[in-house]
Amino acid sequence: MAGAATPTRRQMMAGLGAVGLIRPRAALAGPVGRAFRLGLTPVFLDHDWHLLDLIRAHVSEATGRPVEFVKRRTYKEITALLVIGEIDAAWLCGYPLLQHRDRLSALAVPLWRGAPRYQSYLIAAADRPATRLEDLRGDIHAFSDPDSNSGYLVTVSDLIGMGERPEAFFARSFFTFGHRNVVEAVARRLAASGSVDGYVWEALAVSDTDLVAATRVVRRSDWFGFPPFVIRSESAADAVLRDFAKALFSMPQSAKGREALALLQLDGFIPPPPGAFDAIAARMDLLAGRG
Amino acid sequence: MVRLPPLPLALKVPLTVALLMGIVGIFASQLVVQALVRSQERQLRELAQLEFEGLEATLGPLVLRDDVWEMFSLLDRVTRRGTGLRPIRATLVDPGARVVVSSAPDRAPLGSSGQALIAESVPVDRLSYERATDLVALRRVQTFEGQPLGQMVIEFDARALVAERRNAAWLLVLGNAAATLILAVAGYLVVRRALRPVSRLAAQMADASGAPQPIDEAAIPEGESEVARLYRTYNRMVRAVEERNAAERRLADRERFVSLGRLAGTLAHEINNPLGGLLNAVDTLRAYPERPAVVAGSAELLDRGLRHLRDVVRATLDTHRDPRGAAPLGLTDFEDLRMLIRPEVARQGQRLDWQVAAPEDCLARLPAGPVRQIALNLLLNASAAAGPGGRLGLSVRATDEALDLRIRDSGPGLPDSLRPRLLSDDPVEPGGGVGLRLVRDLVRSLGGQVSVGQSPEGLNEIRLILPCIGEGCRC
Repeated sequence: MAGAATPTRRQMMAGLGAVGLIRPRAALAGPVGRAFRLGLTPVFLDHDWHLLDLIRAHVSEATGRPVEFVKRRTYKEITALLVIGEIDAAWLCGYPLLQHRDRLSALAVPLWRGAPRYQSYLIAAADRPATRLEDLRGDIHAFSDPDSNSGYLVTVSDLIGMGERPEAFFARSFFTFGHRNVVEAVARRLAASGSVDGYVWEALAVSDTDLVAATRVVRRSDWFGFPPFVIRSESAADAVLRDFAKALFSMPQSAKGREALALLQLDGFIPPPPGAFDAIAARMDLLAGRG
Repeated sequence: MVRLPPLPLALKVPLTVALLMGIVGIFASQLVVQALVRSQERQLRELAQLEFEGLEATLGPLVLRDDVWEMFSLLDRVTRRGTGLRPIRATLVDPGARVVVSSAPDRAPLGSSGQALIAESVPVDRLSYERATDLVALRRVQTFEGQPLGQMVIEFDARALVAERRNAAWLLVLGNAAATLILAVAGYLVVRRALRPVSRLAAQMADASGAPQPIDEAAIPEGESEVARLYRTYNRMVRAVEERNAAERRLADRERFVSLGRLAGTLAHEINNPLGGLLNAVDTLRAYPERPAVVAGSAELLDRGLRHLRDVVRATLDTHRDPRGAAPLGLTDFEDLRMLIRPEVARQGQRLDWQVAAPEDCLARLPAGPVRQIALNLLLNASAAAGPGGRLGLSVRATDEALDLRIRDSGPGLPDSLRPRLLSDDPVEPGGGVGLRLVRDLVRSLGGQVSVGQSPEGLNEIRLILPCIGEGCRC
């Protein structure tokens, strides 16, 4: 399967390289071998260089390869790079994983507060007395990413479930392409309310108290499978990916890994439990059912 | 209105310099501040143009994509950087006057009306920098690839400009004040030095003795400098004044002698007249010593004659012994005067009118000596002017607060050449006087006035008003 994919990937890379979208691989390869390329989006906490250094150091040590982070603004871009093999793995949301479930699979799921799950939060300005989604009717609403479960799918599917037309329920909505940006948009009153990853909001409540203090949670959603590290299904047997998975699972055992987990406010990583993303799939069905 | 005493020149000149400096300073400061304001306007306009152009280029694609977050993020970055003169709020208003995005969404929410923002801002190309405001709102129409995006309104924090201008104004005020003060002090020192000769002249002129004093030759600078010439000229003038004063004193003494001489003539006549009779009486006594009736008659004659001579001598002595004596005037003084003038009147066959109608207590308020001298001089002049067979007269009467004394004669009147001696204080040439300047000096010493006119009968008349002296002075 890996062998069959290789020519295709090379062809696509050649094409992208020709239009200047990617850098020559040789320049990125370390002394040990080709770099391990990990995709990230600003949807998560990617602005902490120290955290990235820790992850790079831990993974590099565990896999014996240099680690290179590839960052794009949207899930869509990172997903595309992963699908075409431009990157080896990506930290994505369960929603794009399920959208490409024929080609992508989850490699590892983080444990947050002891469980591989999280919630979506509806947030509003701290001084606003709203308690239900209905209270947010007519708002300017901030979503994080159209391919985000917590930052889009949950709210939209809830509205559909309520018999509302999402495009008409809010006076206006826009995407910030970052859960942190959603919190900031609401805090600065660019938006009256927002849909945000509950884990990110809680993490920010510790690291960026003032920002989060300007917002409050209107409603917490059901539990969903935590955004996993995703790989192409066809390369699941690659040694490098097995090494990468081991690196993730062994993070609590290394100093750098522990420090990285502490910064991420996560407990560790585990193989994806069966049916971890079923709740997201159900939401997708609601959306698809609307036609 | 209270008039301040005049300032000395040494202060007046530096104060004038300081005043002029102040005016020039204010004018120059105005120019500097105006130039600074123009420079700040230019600075602000250029900065604003850069901001508008930069935003236009970067914001354009985001507006076309309606990427609210990126637009906000961009404006937020632009308005959060740096300090000093900088944009603090930026808002894009679409052609329909709705807010597209703002760096301050709490003030300008998405989709709200942007009309107030537009109204309160000025186009960047018509920037007129309002002096007092800390905030300057500018706007410009933004386009992207030929498509209008709307109007961008940027509010600039102009506090740095205001502070800069305030600092400049303070520096100007302090600088000008310091320069003015320094120049005023320097001006004072320079002028005081330049005016030192004048101050010295002023001091010499107002000497404690009351008379101008010459400058010591040792104090006159050598050479022909202006100061040396000034000092020498001043010394010459002082000497000339001294000489003139001495001449006037000599003239006054001479006039006194003149009047004395004239009186001596009348005295000789007065004494000579009874002398013949007296000598006859002595001869009779010698011839008839045994005839008691003749002896008694001659003795009586001698007694009367000698008493008359004694009276004449006393009157003369009283008149000339102490002209400023404090003895009060009385009716007897006028009797004495009549006695002294009578021989001259008789000699010339003149008619003498004599009217003294003032009470004794009123006369007593004036000193006898000066009044006697004044009256005698004028009576002698009147007699001389009236000529043989002429008329002359004296009238004395008391008014409310003065003694009105008039001397009349039927002569041709006081010649014009002699009038200034009696009626003015102008310097007089020596010679030709008949005691008129002496009369004027005495009248002035009594605080009185002299005038010349005609009596109702058409006689020449010299009128003297002598104010009485002392408390409760009322005749």
